[in-house]
Amino acid sequence: MFFARFFPPKFTANVVAVMLLVGLTAPCGVRAVGLPQSSASQADQAKEAWQKEFDAVRSKTQDAMTFSEDELTELIRRCDALLPQIEKLDESRRKVYLGRLAKCRGLYAYVLEAKKNEKK
Amino acid sequence: MKRNERGLLLLMLVCGILFLVNAAKAQVYLPKAPPEPSEYGKVILDTYSAAGPGGVVFDHWLHRSMFTCRVCHVDVGFAMQAKATGIRASTNREGFHCGACHDGKKLYEGKPIFPACSDAVSGSDKQCDRCHSLGKKGVRKYEYKDFVAKLPKDMYGVNWQVAEQSGAIKPLDFVEGISVKKPAMKSREDFFVKSGYSWVHPIAFSHEKHVIWNGCELCHPEIFPTAQKGTTHYSMFYNIEGRYCGACHGKVAFPLNYCRGCHGNGPLWAP
Repeated sequence: MFFARFFPPKFTANVVAVMLLVGLTAPCGVRAVGLPQSSASQADQAKEAWQKEFDAVRSKTQDAMTFSEDELTELIRRCDALLPQIEKLDESRRKVYLGRLAKCRGLYAYVLEAKKNEKK
Repeated sequence: MKRNERGLLLLMLVCGILFLVNAAKAQVYLPKAPPEPSEYGKVILDTYSAAGPGGVVFDHWLHRSMFTCRVCHVDVGFAMQAKATGIRASTNREGFHCGACHDGKKLYEGKPIFPACSDAVSGSDKQCDRCHSLGKKGVRKYEYKDFVAKLPKDMYGVNWQVAEQSGAIKPLDFVEGISVKKPAMKSREDFFVKSGYSWVHPIAFSHEKHVIWNGCELCHPEIFPTAQKGTTHYSMFYNIEGRYCGACHGKVAFPLNYCRGCHGNGPLWAP
């Protein structure tokens, strides 16, 4: 071994032990040192959370006619709940996402109204 | 000629003139003849770019052969009205509007779609001219005549409905990162819209044909807002003004002059 030629075996063992210790504690250290990255990651997760909800709500437009009035009301409520999140975005993102949301919410409201009219 | 006959002749002449004047006024409400198929659906985007790299020429015929109307006007968010979208080079770079697909990374038929308004190209680069082509000759990659050569035609250019049904084109309804996966829509029933005139056939409206291109939310509620049957009076006058069917027909979808496209056999004299 390379170390054995120049250093006594006890020293080599210590070096290996220290290196192992440093190696094992590194992930914890990165986590501890990298707090800003962690909060950025949390922000990404938060962003993803509303986007996931947004995608979940707008993925049902093709089935709008099959939903009950209660289900449609709930979908409209979920659209409205997304509005404050989208309002916080920067100008170009806000405009695009508001447009998408308006189309989605508009359709659910339209179908709900049609269903109510059918009953009359 | 007797005096009574002269009076009658004069009356007939006045009636004739009145008829012609009214007929001329009525002409205003007839659909304008559509432009050449290569020009049909052409949109010039020059709100912000006219002073810079020049106006963008957007041809619907090129993009609708690849994508549904819904992808661009719902998922990506292009407004149906002129100058309402607010497209800028910066929004394209951020991955919105044209940049939603034209980012240099997304693939179409295995090839990357060239980036729109990329920082990597200078203003004099020929790549800018692919879109900013207003008034520039020979800079476009695709020419109408060659591009549509193999597509089915009717009297007003490409018959997009037949092209889609026959599989000649396969417009995508999904863009990665923009669209969401949806189940196929359970087809809505077709219905008839009665005509206000005995000499015009009723409209056989096919939800199925329209949903393929538009989904639901492109038409409802923005274009057809009324959810109660029989409460809206649809008229060709409104269509010509760009409302209801006229939001697409007469601009991008087959023109309003093609009566038989909607009214079955149409009036006898109609194309």
